[in-house]
Amino acid sequence: MTPTIALAGNPNVGKSTIFNTLTGSRQHVGNWPGKTVEKKEGRMLVDGREVLIVDLPGTYSLTAYSIEEIIARDFIVNEHPTAVAVVIDASNLERNLYLVAQILELGVPVIVNLNMTDVATSRGLKIDAKKLSERLGGIPVVETVGNRSMGLDQLKRTIAQISENPPQALPQAHYEGVLGQELAAIEAKIHENELLTTRYSPHWLATKLLEDDPGIIEEMKAIGAGEILSAVQTAQLRIEEATGEDAETLIADRRYAFIGSISTHVLERPSEAVETASDKIDKIITHRIWGLPIFLLIMWVVFQFTANVSAPYLDWVDTFINETVYGWVGAFMAALGLGASWLSDLATDGIVAGVGGVLVFVPVLLFLYMALAVLEDSGYMARAAFVMDRVMRWMGLHGKSFLPMIVGFGCTVPAVYATRTLENEKDRRLTGFLATFMSCGARLPVYVVFGAAFFGALSGNLIFSMYLIGIAIALLVGFAFKHTVYKGQPPAPFVMELPPYRAPRVRDVLRQTWERTKGFIIKAGTVIMLVSIAIWLLMAIPVGADAGAFNNVEPQDSVFGRTSEIIAPVFAPAGFGSWEASGSLITGFLAKEVVISTMNVIYVGTSGEGEEAEPASTFLEDVGSSIGSFIEAGVLTVQEILNIIPRTINLLPLVELPEFNFYGLEEESEDTTSLQSALVASFTRSAGSPEAGAIAAIAFCIFILLYVPCMVAISAMRQEFGWRFVWAQIGFTLALAWVAAVLVFQVGKALFI
Amino acid sequence: MPLSLVSSGQTVTIQDVRGGRKLRRRLLDLGLNHGAQVRVVKNQMTGPMIVAVKEDGRLALGRSMSHYIMVSEA
Repeated sequence: MTPTIALAGNPNVGKSTIFNTLTGSRQHVGNWPGKTVEKKEGRMLVDGREVLIVDLPGTYSLTAYSIEEIIARDFIVNEHPTAVAVVIDASNLERNLYLVAQILELGVPVIVNLNMTDVATSRGLKIDAKKLSERLGGIPVVETVGNRSMGLDQLKRTIAQISENPPQALPQAHYEGVLGQELAAIEAKIHENELLTTRYSPHWLATKLLEDDPGIIEEMKAIGAGEILSAVQTAQLRIEEATGEDAETLIADRRYAFIGSISTHVLERPSEAVETASDKIDKIITHRIWGLPIFLLIMWVVFQFTANVSAPYLDWVDTFINETVYGWVGAFMAALGLGASWLSDLATDGIVAGVGGVLVFVPVLLFLYMALAVLEDSGYMARAAFVMDRVMRWMGLHGKSFLPMIVGFGCTVPAVYATRTLENEKDRRLTGFLATFMSCGARLPVYVVFGAAFFGALSGNLIFSMYLIGIAIALLVGFAFKHTVYKGQPPAPFVMELPPYRAPRVRDVLRQTWERTKGFIIKAGTVIMLVSIAIWLLMAIPVGADAGAFNNVEPQDSVFGRTSEIIAPVFAPAGFGSWEASGSLITGFLAKEVVISTMNVIYVGTSGEGEEAEPASTFLEDVGSSIGSFIEAGVLTVQEILNIIPRTINLLPLVELPEFNFYGLEEESEDTTSLQSALVASFTRSAGSPEAGAIAAIAFCIFILLYVPCMVAISAMRQEFGWRFVWAQIGFTLALAWVAAVLVFQVGKALFI
Repeated sequence: MPLSLVSSGQTVTIQDVRGGRKLRRRLLDLGLNHGAQVRVVKNQMTGPMIVAVKEDGRLALGRSMSHYIMVSEA
């Protein structure tokens, strides 16, 4: 039987780095059964023997108040690992020992991994590992510097040793006085119940009962141990009478006393409080006045990084999929003799275009996640939450909610998953609900096209306004909810650790980035691909006697077109009651970029790619040119990274630095003029006049901004929050979008015409 | 007095934590127990504050939270 070691520890102690070093590539990431928390398992090889390592969620303690803690505790109690290795932050000894003390109480062999010893030393702290081991009852203490791979061999060997020979005698906490007596009495009662004694260490169980641990109490009720529960209550009353303190506080106090005495004998502090480098930096970063502008500047850079730096590869993927691969698939189908069939069209326009729609996202997400991972790893994110706390409070949220919101500007999907870091369920739900108003990257193409079509040089203003309106709406809705749905609920407690600043570690950043992006690709790939096929089908099926044949029909006469026509009148009060507009909006349910590509099909008549005019190139020529353009995209990416500097400096008035332009490329003008003029014509028609058409265009953009999140985001929401939430979100955003669009159009018409 | 009224740079000792059980637990988990020494790193009298717990970790505490934590001079 392979020995199993559980890896436990506080958040931010470098546990993941240790886990990754111990298991290397022999790891597997999944979910804890029935929960949405990530589970990591891996195999460690030492001296030819294998040990299974399970990474428990980072926790501060083992109470039963959060999912992470429940998972960690349940694992140790139910799965009986051979030992638990606790990774602790040497520069934060006492707090970390609190968790160690609780794990020791569980009666399982423990190894203490004293990590981040370099940080401790730089703060002038000295820890005597030997003495620590003695005071903890002789358990092994291994010193490491995880991110420099120092001490890891010793750790591996210690783990292997303990797995071979798990210690029998385990250190137990001592509680004296009244507390000790009552504990002993309850323990005795527990011993009478066989079922309980086999499952739990009686001492630990008695302690938890006196502490009113909710999980344990539930279980007691479930197995009908009513008399133990009442005995516990009597004991608690007696303790309170005798000492003036309730049992829970008393037990916590004793734990801390235990820890405190260890600390006094084991830890040497510098005589004066050292102002750390982190403190110095924090003086500015969390400054009352400068904190917010600094934050905005950093977010601006992140935005630049995500939007512009990803552009070269975004274009590359777009061309590669929608031209190169499209061509290959078409040629392949022709080779099979299916050249002119609907099957070929389905494969190219349906599947390739559909998958392409997803993969085009990938460079954007990669860069977004990379930027965020760097900020998180460096420790800045915690400060950002601190600075944004005040703004968040207007919405009835607090600083921690803000990270998911920021992520939402890139894509709503990861924003929904990011709410997991919030412990309070209400915060999680509200943040998840408002995340969609942070205008995601997929809605941007719509603003760009409409901006160019109707407002020319002022399109930048339109785009910026959309983002601002989204934020304003989120604030308003949050504010409204605070005073209605969530009225009377006390502000959620805001406690957050501020880890010391450190240089982000490349390996960890890359790994995190890849983990997050990969999940997205798999999820979106399945959903969007299926839906693209469905749309293709709907646009290929004719309705009506002389509409045409399958796959040879005008979009207007297809199932898709006819259905859109039925819905179109709903949008008449907003100025865009045409089947084209409503059809495009319907496809936006699936993914917001699909809105523009659908519009291309409807208004312009081509799918935008697959021109027959060029002579067919060979497969090898294609590969060659793809590789060439890939490299070129790489150079352009570096160029764009460098361009962040002049662009940021150019924010200052009167400064105009030139940007880098390695290839001397002209500013490419989007070849959407045919779409643009078609849009202007269509909106003028549905709104009544050119001026009204422009207002209707704004209304349309507002509708796009506010209405339902895309299919993939919805499925993420269903996974995190359930069906009810999803229906509420869909209903609310649809209603809000419609009302807003109608208002804008009607009021706009009245004011300007 | 409540922690929220302590000025930057001062060191205080925690005496009591008012508020529900969940809150107390949370603070206990983070090292804010009875008798713990806490140095106020930054208190702008509005918005969250930053404290150094037992000279080790830095914690950001929301204003309402810091109202519930009763301290005395170290």
